[in-house]
Amino acid sequence: MHFLQPVMNGLYKTFIYENRWEWFLSGLGYTLLISLAAVLLGLIIGVLAALGKLSKFKPFKWLASLYVDVIRGTPTMVQILIIYYIIFQSVDLAPWIVGALGFAINSGAYIAEIVRGGILSIDKGQTEAGRSLGLTSSQTMINIIMPQTLKNILPALANEFIVLIKETAVIGMIEKIDLLGAAQRVQSLTFDYLYPLLGAAAIYYVVIKILSIGLNVIEMQLRKSDIR
Amino acid sequence: MIQIKDLHKSFGKLHILKGITENVKAGEKVVLIGPSGSGKSTLLRCINLLEVPTSGSIIVDGTEITDRSVNINKARENLGMVFQHFNLFPHLSIMDNITLAPIKVKKMPKEQAKEKALELLKRVGLEDKADAYPVQLSGGQKQRIAIVRALAMDPKIMLFDEPTSALDPEMVGEVLEVMKELANAGMTMVVVTHEMGFAREVADRVWFMDDGNIIEQGAPIEVFENPKNDRTKSFLSKIL
Repeated sequence: MHFLQPVMNGLYKTFIYENRWEWFLSGLGYTLLISLAAVLLGLIIGVLAALGKLSKFKPFKWLASLYVDVIRGTPTMVQILIIYYIIFQSVDLAPWIVGALGFAINSGAYIAEIVRGGILSIDKGQTEAGRSLGLTSSQTMINIIMPQTLKNILPALANEFIVLIKETAVIGMIEKIDLLGAAQRVQSLTFDYLYPLLGAAAIYYVVIKILSIGLNVIEMQLRKSDIR
Repeated sequence: MIQIKDLHKSFGKLHILKGITENVKAGEKVVLIGPSGSGKSTLLRCINLLEVPTSGSIIVDGTEITDRSVNINKARENLGMVFQHFNLFPHLSIMDNITLAPIKVKKMPKEQAKEKALELLKRVGLEDKADAYPVQLSGGQKQRIAIVRALAMDPKIMLFDEPTSALDPEMVGEVLEVMKELANAGMTMVVVTHEMGFAREVADRVWFMDDGNIIEQGAPIEVFENPKNDRTKSFLSKIL
């Protein structure tokens, strides 16, 4: 059994010694927290940007298009570095909040396109029915179009959340608070890349697998309620 | 009640309405017939500005709605519209479908709006569907709800855009029945339809449209029994 000895030893040093599994757990917690906060805040930004892009008022349209264009046209890593080292450099905010803000701004651009597609997929007759009853265009948007849009794009939003979980690993390269950050902190003590990185990868994989299965279940439930 | 003057509507190069001038009196029931593509629906949709006319004017109940300074949302409160495809709000219960506009637009208290909705639902025999969702109803039921939804705003005029065209044949009757009852109650109505029986029975006047113009109009008995225009004759011979 002596060939298992280094493996056991590596796993011990990475996860058990000094309760280092707690680092991974707290890292995973931050990863999920940052992703969830980013996707929720990103949804607000995304809805505003989508409405801006669909607006007839030129400055809104122009501003929203510029935002989506710039975010989609630059690397996430660069955006997050700018957020941490330039915009929030001298602001005293918890690193996870800065990360969540950064990813919300990033994700908002992608969510904007999801929301825009969702709004456009609602039958024109819905708007006409609302307007013919005397509702203003914003009342129609809030009471009739948006609720239907959000229900339709729920699976796409959940998917965006899953994508974010992976992307937020970028934060581990800047502030070692998330899951990848935990792996790096362990690695800097053990001088061993293998177990911390493979361990982090395995945790990412399992968490995302569970969420994907959950997402499938939700999608099937939604479809069921459409048939009735 | 409705005065239409030299109304033109173009979609790009497509000239749909070519100078329509007509009036609808209070309490009058006008049925709009004509071949598809003749501009019937476009004319109807211009009356509540779902389509913005290219030129000309429309006066509804003393308000020139084509004047850009007019609050169109206010004007639309007087104009109920019923669509071919019902356009009920699928995410809202029947009750919420009906009470949404009275609560949001007329600022009616919720309880009062509900009471009124129930009253209207009773009138069309669907009071047991208040808590159902549109997807659970048949086409005929949906259209009756759509009529109730429009009536909940107490409109002075009701516009119907082919209200029975998307229905199974056995459901047409129940919708026409509701419309007849509404007509008997004195509502001003403009109806685009292919139901000639309904036109004969209910209409005070029939407008026959072809190629963007009203080329013949009169009491149903005149238009149906004794059409003067060749185009009207050939259209009626095909459908009667």
